[in-house]
Amino acid sequence: MVGFTLVEKIIRKHTESSDEEIYPGNIVWVNLDLVTARDYAGPQVIDLFEKYYLGSETFDNKKIIFTPDCYPYGNDPKHAIDQEKLRVFAKKHDIQLTDLGSGIGSHLLFKRGLSLPGDIVIGADSHYNLLGALGILGQGAGDLMLAFAVKTGKYWIKIPETVKVELKGDYKWPTTVKDLALYVLKQLHEYGITGCSVEFHGEIISRLSIEERVTLCSLITEASGSIGFVAPDQITAEYYKQFNIEIDSISADDDANYSSKIMIDIQDLGLYLACPPHPHNVKPIEDVIGTEINSIVIGSCTNGTTLDFQQAARILKNQKVHPNVRLGLVPATREDFVSLNADGTMTTILEAGGNFFGAGCSTCAKGQYGLTGGKTTVSITTGNRNTQGKIGPGDVYLASPVVAAVAAIEGKIAIPIKEYE
Amino acid sequence: MGDEQLSEEKINGQVKLVKVDDIDTDQIFHQSLLTIHDPEEIKPHIFGNLPGYQSFGKENNENKIMVVGKNFGKGSTRQQAVTGFLAHKIKAIIGESFGPIYYSNAVNAGLLLIEAPGILEFKMDDNDNLEIDLVNAQISNENTGISMKCNLIPKPVLDIMRAGGLLELGKESNF
Repeated sequence: MVGFTLVEKIIRKHTESSDEEIYPGNIVWVNLDLVTARDYAGPQVIDLFEKYYLGSETFDNKKIIFTPDCYPYGNDPKHAIDQEKLRVFAKKHDIQLTDLGSGIGSHLLFKRGLSLPGDIVIGADSHYNLLGALGILGQGAGDLMLAFAVKTGKYWIKIPETVKVELKGDYKWPTTVKDLALYVLKQLHEYGITGCSVEFHGEIISRLSIEERVTLCSLITEASGSIGFVAPDQITAEYYKQFNIEIDSISADDDANYSSKIMIDIQDLGLYLACPPHPHNVKPIEDVIGTEINSIVIGSCTNGTTLDFQQAARILKNQKVHPNVRLGLVPATREDFVSLNADGTMTTILEAGGNFFGAGCSTCAKGQYGLTGGKTTVSITTGNRNTQGKIGPGDVYLASPVVAAVAAIEGKIAIPIKEYE
Repeated sequence: MGDEQLSEEKINGQVKLVKVDDIDTDQIFHQSLLTIHDPEEIKPHIFGNLPGYQSFGKENNENKIMVVGKNFGKGSTRQQAVTGFLAHKIKAIIGESFGPIYYSNAVNAGLLLIEAPGILEFKMDDNDNLEIDLVNAQISNENTGISMKCNLIPKPVLDIMRAGGLLELGKESNF
């Protein structure tokens, strides 16, 4: 009997299918721990539910959360009406709603202890798989799947193959986990992990905080992977203690059936950017030094945490944003906002000339297209998508908060120098 | 929703080639249009952001079998990227591989996706007549007489499509 990988273990705990049916490529039904919807797709989920299941109750209103996060207050009255629809349905069915300004749904699930390692949760967000950073099987789903799930609590999943990725070596400041994530994205995209689950291993993992693990796992979608996992460990267990939650240990079996095992050497990793027109078009910073930048956004589910803003502030302290640059900042959650306010990070960034916006998604979400500027605007975001025409009509680079902050000061892509510290 | 053809074991249709790898959901249906949900309004925008295929939305490809490259539909969760092909009455999409979320969105809506590694090397031209044998997992080009194997369609997927889509299945008592 061959053992199971982490994703197979989680699926096995949630299905009536037998162990013989748990193998890559097979499709099984699973029972969900949590179903979420947001102001993108959520209104359609509600419309579908009311069209197909009018008069029905949800499968369990305590296992559903609505998390409008795409655009606080919208730039279009249509968004406001969509958001209102969530509130009305939530009230009718007594469903929890984290309203505008609370933050990105995927982040709230771990920031508020709403989802636990080993859980299966779905939402209308292709980066829900960043929850793999905590050993949660998070998956993005379309409105049909979500409407069905709201009614039945069930979800079908194609069991992914698992690729074991060993990260070998270590890096140091000003390289941060975003550079690691971009470098890993480039390698995994070239290798080909379409539909695969990835398990990250290596000594470096045990030194990454939850926030850093989230950044790492958030780019698996851009390599067309199903999910990237960090198996719950001491750091995960400590994290959940703030909610007085003892987590169950869950990990792959020693004899688990991996479709492949690869090693990525990250020793002395440098700085990297994803260049237009694809997230996987990752290049070392040396290749693009001097590129003029005029719009910068630090935020998103990839790099919108307290740690990300602290790293940006380390660069921006006692500096001024270049006059040709607009620097926008969008914390992932209200909890991050509170932390940034408490430790002075916000003041540092505001004094440098940064401009804070309400907590939630940024640039890649519905309703935000073109907000960075027009055709002549070249942007850096700390997000996860730079596909041509996704953020706005101009070129978009993806980078770490450190690289973004340096560009904000210089007005161009530049290597961080000592004086910033 | 649903497709009467799926009560049959074989599907026939003319080929519509879109031989491009890594077509993402923004190229299929751009995010600036996301407030549009009516299938007929989605229809003309399909591939509006895919160089070389921008006219697809205005063409008539009814009852055709579309053939795409690897990793089709990567990117966002948007259902419109599936709805648009149903509105165009595309019978099935054969691809080297599909983005995982796209695959599930399509199955749920009753759009048949066929994974066929090697399909891009399979000799065929636009408007050739293809036959897909669902039971034996075989694709045949009736113009050339050549056949190839495709991946077997999982039974739960066929069940969902025979129910007329996932939401119809949700009405059944055992769910």
